[in-house]
Amino acid sequence: MSGSGVPLLAYLLVSGAMFLIGLLGVMIRRNPLMVLLAVELMLNGANVTLVGFSRFWDTTDGQTFALVVMVVAAAEVVIGLGLVVAVYRQRLRLNIDEMTRLRG
Amino acid sequence: MKGSSLTIGIVATVATISFIVGLTLALTLAMGAFTFEQLVFSVAAAGAIEFSILVVALPGTFRATVSLIGALLSVAVLFVLLTAPFVAVIQVIVYAGAIVVLFLFVIAYMGERPLAAVADPLVRWQPVAWLVIVVLAAQALVVLLTTDLAVRDELQEGGTVATPGGENPDFGGPEAIGRSFIDDYIVPFEATSLVLLVAAVGAVLLAKRAVQLERGR
Repeated sequence: MSGSGVPLLAYLLVSGAMFLIGLLGVMIRRNPLMVLLAVELMLNGANVTLVGFSRFWDTTDGQTFALVVMVVAAAEVVIGLGLVVAVYRQRLRLNIDEMTRLRG
Repeated sequence: MKGSSLTIGIVATVATISFIVGLTLALTLAMGAFTFEQLVFSVAAAGAIEFSILVVALPGTFRATVSLIGALLSVAVLFVLLTAPFVAVIQVIVYAGAIVVLFLFVIAYMGERPLAAVADPLVRWQPVAWLVIVVLAAQALVVLLTTDLAVRDELQEGGTVATPGGENPDFGGPEAIGRSFIDDYIVPFEATSLVLLVAAVGAVLLAKRAVQLERGR
């Protein structure tokens, strides 16, 4: 068995880097499609942490939770892309900062 | 223009290779011995981080989506290294298969439309976004580097704790995941099916309203 050639810390650093890059994308991109892509990056970063700790503690729980996260990500993409297409078909400009009609 | 992109490519290649070599060396020094696991991890980590940067930095949505495939596959390799083969397979099938194809369909449907150059009222807040990122990164580094995670790793090497697959050869396989879902997490499992149902109905409703608005066009 491969034991621990790579410490958990390395996985956590990669995961954190992916999460932060995704967060940056969510905050600075204005195309809703790009924001959805960046959200996928954040979810993947979180999944690496879940699976990493799952191995760390020798339980399957983290992997199970990672699978649930994937399902939620799939549902989120379906709804998000549905919204993007709905906005597009009404000939609106795809710019998140202009979609302010629901602002309180 | 071509010359500058060539320069960027060379710089990126050199940076990638030095990152991989540096990470492998650091891991070898930290763990005291070189294993191929460290090399594979370095390559996957470099791929994950670089493709993530490309996803956020590339202007075109199509290229960003294709970069996302690279990031997702790198993460799948990380899952394999973490003895989670089932999660890795699902990652490739669901993410790289279904979700990315969905993105590509929508992009193909809409055409690659450049964002209209309008005055952006929020662009002056972008430094705040960078500030948030830097603060969070510093925080994460401090927490990670001051937490003694290595204790557990040493325990595993000493053999006092079962290494993954030591007692249970199916660790991370379909059977273990299935048992975990059915035995311990039956409620989240059922909730997942509900989430999928709601998402499907929601997508149908969104599409139906859009068609009605256009009077069946």
